[in-house]
Amino acid sequence: MSLFDRLAARRLIVVTGKGGVGKSAMTAALGHGLAARGRRTLVLEVDPRENLHQLLDVPPSGGDAVEVAPNLLLQNLKPRQVVDWVVRKQVKIEMLVKRVQQSPIYHRFVEGAPGLKEMAILGHALRLVRGETPGVDAVDTVILDAPATGHGIYLLTASGLFSEAIGEGPFADMAREVAEFTADADATGVVLVTLAEEMPVQEAIELRQALEEKLDRQPELLVVNGVYPALPAAKVADAANDATDGAPEELLDLWRHRRAVNERELARLERRWSGPRVELPLLPVDRGPALVADLGGLLDEALAALDAEEGGR
Amino acid sequence: MSDGRLDLRSDQPPLVIVVGSGGVGKTTLAAAMGLESAAAGRDTLVMTFDPSLRLKDALGVSAASEDEEIAVPTAELGSGAGRLDASLLQAGRTFDRLVERYAPDAAARDRILGNRFYTHLASHLGGILEYMAVERLYEVASEQRYDRIILDTPPTTQAIDFLEAPERIVSFLDSGALQIALRPWFGDSGRLRATSGLGFVGKGLERFLDRIVGLQLLRDMSEFFRAFGPLFDGFRERADKVRELLAARDTVFVLVTGPGETRIPDTLFFARRLREAGYRLGPIVVNRVHPDFGVVEPVVDGAAGDGVELFRWLGASHRGGLAELRRLLPDDQMLVALPVEKDEPTDLRSLHALGARIQAQLEGAR
Repeated sequence: MSLFDRLAARRLIVVTGKGGVGKSAMTAALGHGLAARGRRTLVLEVDPRENLHQLLDVPPSGGDAVEVAPNLLLQNLKPRQVVDWVVRKQVKIEMLVKRVQQSPIYHRFVEGAPGLKEMAILGHALRLVRGETPGVDAVDTVILDAPATGHGIYLLTASGLFSEAIGEGPFADMAREVAEFTADADATGVVLVTLAEEMPVQEAIELRQALEEKLDRQPELLVVNGVYPALPAAKVADAANDATDGAPEELLDLWRHRRAVNERELARLERRWSGPRVELPLLPVDRGPALVADLGGLLDEALAALDAEEGGR
Repeated sequence: MSDGRLDLRSDQPPLVIVVGSGGVGKTTLAAAMGLESAAAGRDTLVMTFDPSLRLKDALGVSAASEDEEIAVPTAELGSGAGRLDASLLQAGRTFDRLVERYAPDAAARDRILGNRFYTHLASHLGGILEYMAVERLYEVASEQRYDRIILDTPPTTQAIDFLEAPERIVSFLDSGALQIALRPWFGDSGRLRATSGLGFVGKGLERFLDRIVGLQLLRDMSEFFRAFGPLFDGFRERADKVRELLAARDTVFVLVTGPGETRIPDTLFFARRLREAGYRLGPIVVNRVHPDFGVVEPVVDGAAGDGVELFRWLGASHRGGLAELRRLLPDDQMLVALPVEKDEPTDLRSLHALGARIQAQLEGAR
């Protein structure tokens, strides 16, 4: 089975990484990739400031699951929706539901209770793949555009903590189910996105360690995004270059240095990272559907190359 | 009174808060401004959260020195230089330290630290790092040991989180709501009580809490909030003082963002939120702008051609983004564009050079 197919077989893929590394574009590209393979896929965004719709070329979803392409859905989720849903299911009497939901105490509980939102997000994903969400037919895979790394590991561990702490009640049941779901590497996959720069690489390595320590598992894939292209052999040296190619020396100088930073960090990953890893180039394309399409194509190629490499061994 | 003016060489403003989304280079810029400030003779403290390993080394801070101000070696800044200190705040045991610091006695401290709700969940309370940051800032600022404090802010996805987090945590911990919610349930013995003074809404809420949360958690939380009680007044009071400090006329916010048009909505949004909330927004710094190389002749070599094309595109795209941002901002909003560095500056010399360039742009714009 190819790497992409193995990834596609997951019920939930959590895409995580430091801020500004291109998580959302990668989430969108993976969404298209899975949908093209016939998986009914929903990309889930939890950022209150919606932006995935721009990458998928549709209007803001406004909180509902909307179809953006064949087999591909998009939803911008407010964790509150899920908590409210649990309340509604439990309390049943509409007037009481309203009272509860309007109470400031409830607001503070939902805003402040540690782990509750994280559990609600993953609980929602679980309901989606089980077909338990009213108005949405079951989906094969949910791809979650997760909050930045530090929060990423907490997202994955919070439900376990929550279920240990609570013990009883519907939230506890949900937390237990979610914890099992995310601990099962066959059901839930983690895709880590980074740039080949010091801080994001450091965070990627730390997240990997945290995943191993706390959940005894590893990320399915590391995507090194936005890599400057290698210089042609003749331009690598610092010596004066053939002036006939017309490129200003300052441009080549900046290129050389930025590429050197990338190579230093790629070398660090080579030493400290085992497991599937792909590199995607920095592209001269504005952030939008065209970038997503290009990244998707390159991701396909890179994963196929990894498969070939593995097969050749 | 600085009213948003930032001059690192003068004694105003005494407090600079560097905000922005994660990954835009806040920590490096905070350190660079710190060096320039110290070079101008100002005793300066840089409070950081998330420095890279190399920047940590350069500043001499580490996890071991957590919460302490460490002197940065500044011999190369020359004889007129002021003192430069740096400190590092990390997540981790922050909440424990808070409890240790403010618990009235050892017994109260142990009651909180040993509580099941606390050990499992409270240390993960969203916003705790942000709360600790402003708490520490307030403490250091009150001691008046520095001419200037430059506060880097914790890495959040959304820049605005930093300002809202302390309020969120205070409202969650605030004795009022949750204690009222929980008190009718349990007597001092920790046993469930049947009566309630909350009337109809209270009954609905009780039923909700029982069904949803479960009694064990309620019991743990009730115990936690009772144990936390003595700390509450201090929390609220300090949060108010911190807000006053942040909103003071001579506190200046520096908003850092990345280049490119896609960043613009976020930048405008945060700039507006800052102003609406009554904070003084100083310069907006657009970091890592690729230089504009203009039209480059076609290159014969294919790979070189792609690379040259990429750099041309980056330069043009970033120039376009800057022009658009300038057009959308009020005329009096100062905008500083910093070119992408060949490598992230991590030694004191290159950090100071960066700080001096920022200062030069601030002066030039005036």
